[in-house]
Amino acid sequence: MQESSTRLRRRILFSLLRAALRALVSAAISIPLMATSARANEFEFFESRVRPILVEHCYACHSAESEKLKSGLFLDSREGIRKGGDSGKPAIIPGNAEASRLIEAVSYKNKDLQMPPPKAGKLKEAQITDLVTWINMGAPDPRTNSSAIPATLADKYNEAKTHWAFQPVKNPPVPAVKNQKQVQTPIDNFILAKLEDRDLTLTSPAGRRTLIRRATFDLTGLPPTPEEVDAFVADKSPEAFARVVDRLLASPRYGERWGRYWLDVARFADTKGYVYGGREEAKFIQSAAYRDWIIGAFNADMPYDRFLKLQIAADQMEGADLNSLAAMGYLTLGRRFLGVVHDIIDDRIDVVMRGTQALTVGCARCHDHKFDPIPTKDYYSLYGVFAGSNERQVPLNSGTAPAKAYLDFEVELKKREEKFYSTFNAKREEQSKRLRSKVAEYLVAVLDVEKLHNEDFYSFVQADDINPVIVRAWHSYLLSSAKTVHPVWAPWHAYSALPTNEFAARAEGVLISLTNATPKLNPVVEKAFAEKPPGSMREVAEVYGKLLTGVDKKWVEAADKKKALSKDEDEVRQVLYAENSPASVPSGAIVDMEWYFDEPTRVELGGLSVKIEQWILQSTGAPPHAVILEDRPHQRNPYVFKRGNPSSKGEQIPKQFLEILAGENRKPFTKGSGRLELAEAIASPDNPLTARVFVNRVWLYHFGAGLVGTPSDFGTRAEPPTHPELLDWLANAFMEGGWSVKKLHRLILLSAVYQQGSDRAELSPDETTSRIQRVSNRNGDSDLPDSTIDPENKYFFRFNRQRLDFEALRDSLLFVSGQLDLKVGGKAEEMFKTPFSKRRSVYGFIDRQFLPGPLRIFDFASPDMHAPQRSETTVPQQALFFLNGAFVVEQAKALAARSGAGGGDTNAASPEAKISRMHRLLYQREPTAGQLKNSLNFLAAASAAISNKPVVARAPSAWKYGYGEFDEAGKQLKSFETLPHFSGDAWQGGKSWPDATLGWAQLTATGGHAGNDLQHAVIRRWVAPVDGAVEISGSIKHTHPEGHGIRASIFAQGKDQLGKWTLHNQAAEANVPSIEVKQGDTIDFIVSIDQSLSYNDFLWAPVIRLTGPIREANGYAQEWNAQKDFGGTPPEPREPLTAWEEYAQVLLLSNEFLFID
Amino acid sequence: MHHPLNLNDAFLTRRRFLTRCGMGLGAMSLAALFGETSVLVPAAHGAENLNPLLPKMPQFPGRAKRVVHFFLNGGPSHVDSFDPKPALTKYAGQPLPGEYIKTERKTGAAFPSPFKFKRCGQSGIEVSEMFPHLGSCIDDMAVIRSMKAEVPNHEPSLMLMNCGDAVQSRPSLGSWITYGLGTENQNLPGFIVMCPGGYPVKETDNWQNGFLPGVFQGTHIDSQHTRIEKLIENIRSNYTSIKEQRRQLDLLQQLNEEHQQARQTDARLESRIQSFELAFRMQMEAADAFDISAEPETIRDLYGAGVHGRQTLIARRLLERGVRFIQLWHGAGQPWDSHENIEKAHGKLAKEIDQPAAALIKDLKQRGMLDDTLIIFGGEFGRTPTVELNSSGTAQYGRDHNPFGFTTCLAGGGIKGGTVYGATDEFGFKSVENVVHVHDLHATILHQLGFDHEKLTYRYAGRDFRLTDVYGKVVRDILA
Repeated sequence: MQESSTRLRRRILFSLLRAALRALVSAAISIPLMATSARANEFEFFESRVRPILVEHCYACHSAESEKLKSGLFLDSREGIRKGGDSGKPAIIPGNAEASRLIEAVSYKNKDLQMPPPKAGKLKEAQITDLVTWINMGAPDPRTNSSAIPATLADKYNEAKTHWAFQPVKNPPVPAVKNQKQVQTPIDNFILAKLEDRDLTLTSPAGRRTLIRRATFDLTGLPPTPEEVDAFVADKSPEAFARVVDRLLASPRYGERWGRYWLDVARFADTKGYVYGGREEAKFIQSAAYRDWIIGAFNADMPYDRFLKLQIAADQMEGADLNSLAAMGYLTLGRRFLGVVHDIIDDRIDVVMRGTQALTVGCARCHDHKFDPIPTKDYYSLYGVFAGSNERQVPLNSGTAPAKAYLDFEVELKKREEKFYSTFNAKREEQSKRLRSKVAEYLVAVLDVEKLHNEDFYSFVQADDINPVIVRAWHSYLLSSAKTVHPVWAPWHAYSALPTNEFAARAEGVLISLTNATPKLNPVVEKAFAEKPPGSMREVAEVYGKLLTGVDKKWVEAADKKKALSKDEDEVRQVLYAENSPASVPSGAIVDMEWYFDEPTRVELGGLSVKIEQWILQSTGAPPHAVILEDRPHQRNPYVFKRGNPSSKGEQIPKQFLEILAGENRKPFTKGSGRLELAEAIASPDNPLTARVFVNRVWLYHFGAGLVGTPSDFGTRAEPPTHPELLDWLANAFMEGGWSVKKLHRLILLSAVYQQGSDRAELSPDETTSRIQRVSNRNGDSDLPDSTIDPENKYFFRFNRQRLDFEALRDSLLFVSGQLDLKVGGKAEEMFKTPFSKRRSVYGFIDRQFLPGPLRIFDFASPDMHAPQRSETTVPQQALFFLNGAFVVEQAKALAARSGAGGGDTNAASPEAKISRMHRLLYQREPTAGQLKNSLNFLAAASAAISNKPVVARAPSAWKYGYGEFDEAGKQLKSFETLPHFSGDAWQGGKSWPDATLGWAQLTATGGHAGNDLQHAVIRRWVAPVDGAVEISGSIKHTHPEGHGIRASIFAQGKDQLGKWTLHNQAAEANVPSIEVKQGDTIDFIVSIDQSLSYNDFLWAPVIRLTGPIREANGYAQEWNAQKDFGGTPPEPREPLTAWEEYAQVLLLSNEFLFID
Repeated sequence: MHHPLNLNDAFLTRRRFLTRCGMGLGAMSLAALFGETSVLVPAAHGAENLNPLLPKMPQFPGRAKRVVHFFLNGGPSHVDSFDPKPALTKYAGQPLPGEYIKTERKTGAAFPSPFKFKRCGQSGIEVSEMFPHLGSCIDDMAVIRSMKAEVPNHEPSLMLMNCGDAVQSRPSLGSWITYGLGTENQNLPGFIVMCPGGYPVKETDNWQNGFLPGVFQGTHIDSQHTRIEKLIENIRSNYTSIKEQRRQLDLLQQLNEEHQQARQTDARLESRIQSFELAFRMQMEAADAFDISAEPETIRDLYGAGVHGRQTLIARRLLERGVRFIQLWHGAGQPWDSHENIEKAHGKLAKEIDQPAAALIKDLKQRGMLDDTLIIFGGEFGRTPTVELNSSGTAQYGRDHNPFGFTTCLAGGGIKGGTVYGATDEFGFKSVENVVHVHDLHATILHQLGFDHEKLTYRYAGRDFRLTDVYGKVVRDILA
């Protein structure tokens, strides 16, 4: 006890010390700025004359509080006004009002720079004079809120130019170290160099048992067997550990462990999240194939660059076989966001950019990234890549499916697909036709496009409603036709350029201005506007609408389509029929297109596609499936969505990689969607992030801490790496090793850093205290305990003790109990329902919508968003899982059995041998003398205490459920025995039904089943809780024409027969008018077989009601309803453990089992 | 932190320490003892790995310590409950003048409320006859008649009301609050969600932890069940008696102590040792908390029979035991979604919830707990003042969804009772006066708990996230 309290005290002292140091440092930095009195007057001028102007006339658009900041200019801080906005020029030049842009703007000298805008009104002359005076005074400005100003994009680029993560990966020289003895690999040089700077060394090597245990968990997620440990301990060769590492890397268990880490990065799940029932299947068809592909890729040591490229663009990669398409689950396994396409794309951008580049590009969806040089434009360049791809389901080559089952699968699949496609095509055609007839309405809607709602406001309920998605398609189409003179649309753009208040006056001139346009205006369009100049944009839209719909009608109705239209008319018609026409529904998968349809059609099409997916999921002959992205036939460049609003389009931009990584001379992507080019830009040795990010992740999983503390954020705000040179050296070695992940593991595991111990000797409390005092004097810190100098072990002076994560924990429980099923791949299995799956956790079914409790409480990676790192919490619910959870108990039983302790007494081995066996299986060591003694004491006490008598289940309230012999001749009940087992739904003989002894006898809420013979009639007994008069009502039904039916009767007190019935495929009312009962009296409802045991189930749920006055019955129910009251408490404890099983469970609960030194 | 760091605490032996914990963890701060940081960092090692649910101090002294959120899912009609619109009677059966708002389905003529309104309490606030019991508590309630959400569809609106964002996966209000404050009782989950009969629409998304650690997710309980084993996962053993379990734990602690003594200080080892003791006590305490048979009959009568009475009474027992945030859903699916025959549908639902909700206010008040318990009563949006038309254009005497104007009521926790705040237009289409967006409601709730909503943040994916995103204003006029 004394020991642990000292430790606590020491910990407190350390943290106090740390806090004190922090406080000192921050006090030194933040010396308050004090204004001298000489400046007070100048400030007063600012306060009384200048600030009010700025607040009243400028802040609305130029301050941190602005709803919409204009031109990146902040006038609400000293720094902002001096720095200026997006123009890059300062707003004021202190001392020189003449040259200050602020004065240029407010004095309206420059027609293009008038502020406040003319609409708001020019400042008064006196105000302008005040501003001039102020600037010429040197612009004294007391405002100190400089931190409020976000850096401009240009600043961010400048900062980023020197940011470590954006520099090319270097190949730094291996540093020399003093303590050459500790060096085993160059990694050690890098680590030791930093440690020696702090007068630290590595901790002495971990013991062999610890080392093999550590490496085995680390590489496979499972403990070593006692035999493996013995062999390693005995192997004195210098190559012994290298051989262990090689053996582990070659094990198929390796891919299952490390593949799961990647699944965290890939926000993997087997379900889509919340979906509309019936309209979308909740499970993914492609998740199992993706998970297996990942595991396989790790096991095969697929080069990491290829691993990434396949996941992003397997559909376009040379040499990728059919099964590689499974890799694209990386993109397609995200949440579905109820089909809101912008969110689906956002999820894909996030998973790729944080996963592979550790860049938080998603921040740039609505505005330029606050800290990193990632402009919104770059976000939409990537958006364009994904928007240019649509989903497709692809059957993979399973190789193993039995031929017959496969054929059956195909036949039915074809049927379902044909049904879907024929409906889909018909609906598409129907919808396209409707859209062609509603051009005018859509063009009018385009005029108000910014007011449109996003998809989550799904008011597109009926077919004739205006569909916002189509309006936006028209809007993009018109925007892109504005870039060159378009023979059909040039007038539209010329009219829309007119200011609203001058529209009528200037409309007439528009056609004249276009007379010399090249290419020439389409004469049909020209004619339509020549007759009568439009009075507003609305009229322009209507003229176009009439024209387009008219031409289409003429063509549709014509017998000879070839001659129906003139060449000019046909040019107009092409607007509606071209492949990229906004008036037609494009081709692709329904998931990419559902928003083109009204609600009932979406439901219908969704329902048909659910049928296809269900079949793929259900059929035993179904091969694995992938869902891939493939490029759309027509590509267009994306628009920036201002503030993330798809209805508010900014500039159109090319699809390309991030400028900060691709450089100023980056080239737009040219091939299709650009996805392959994106993959290549990422998986390139020239990319400064890809290799660094990955080696950091690998380091993190090995050591429990990364070289960069934020594994998915290498941006400018991230903590810099503790060992930048090592990070580069590793990244470089990784790439030079052909991006081989296994080589990287070997490199790391063979280092002395990895093999050092996790504990080192500590100093006594008194020594500690005195040394702490010395450290605060900033000297003599070389002889401080290491943990004081580096309390978080940032410099790796010892190995971090690691706690098993949920998968390793569950797998290890199964492993030590001898239950683990090592089957590889295939369909996911439910982990938390009985009978429990015995497969590795990586094959467990992950439902992101209903993430099971154990996964939540054990800090499983969120399957919704890319998870950089798991949190590690300790909550009592975890302990409950160990103490009471059926899964742990099952493993405890198996462990006891396996250790020769199952069933208790049949095994000949001594208790000591059994205890030793368990310790070796779990901890790979013998028990200590003390543990052996404690264990034996526990076993003795437990054996004495545990009663093996099964405890009978309890029935609720007034009802009892039993069976017995009924003597029909003597008209009496000869016996009543309680049915011993309650299943939750029924009272019966045992866990399985029929039961070995009590056969078919069963009572349920609504009826039951008679027992096998007349000695086993089933009896529902009511015990009167009160004195009074009761009436009985109910009906008995036997519903089978087969067999001979049942006999039923009601008895009071086991001797007074109140009614009897023999029923075969018929029903009878079973009512008893009124009967007096005393508290404790019984009324039995008895059913037995009639003649034979065959079809003897029945329905009978009687109701008993108090009729007379209640005597001594305050608070009692007035009615007892057999159905409503039905229930029970399961036997408790249901299955008591033996002393050995209890003991095995304790060992599984221990810290030694959960923590790896 | 609840208490400043006291060095004496550090000299406790573990056994004495555990004994003290047994007196109630709220009494002392484990967090202080172990140097737990106030902001969680998802790092693998160090002191921050201890139980993140331990109680924490807010940023400033809050008026409320705990929250109950009655969620009337499906969209209760404001014009039939707390926002009377006599003008609808004037136009009954006729089209209303002016522009109709666009909602999910088409609506037609003005549809006056079939319910009568009555002035209640000292404040004389008008409440419909749907809610006679709540009407009797109106002087303890603030009625916000000018709520505003974004879209007329259940899913995004549920997300907005619960998580502050219509579409993206964001942590829920309850998760943010337990993240910020921890919970007072380590023997019970800190954030409990009860819903009779299963799940509301959007299911577990409504109480998701988002990017916050998993322990902050709401623990869902199907309150139709009455047995503790069905209510909380693994709360009882089917294999070992409590006595046997105690013996097991004693052996476990011997093992763990020997293990720990052979190693250097590692807070995680100690913390896991304690977690077993906590779990052991939790089994008893949880069963007790959910057992309403321990309540006197008068109290059970106050809440009324039926599942809502039971659920609400359980909620009160949980509040007393220090549970931080309790959400009480009306039922599975979206019960308040009365597209047809609103008189009958709303009438029945109101009857189920009115008495229990009012009982909670009264009961907390007489226990002196209303002052620091914040009660929220409302749905994800309101309904149209016009009658909904079916596809053939006929009225079915129901109303469509309306996020543009609706009512949410607050009570307790430093809220000024007997207050009406804001107003919708003449007919109840849109909030027009002192509009309170859902973000503002969230800001106000956090404020009452002692948080500046702009400063309760969590760093994720390179950004500091908060419940109110970049919005939210505290509605100060309804604060006492």
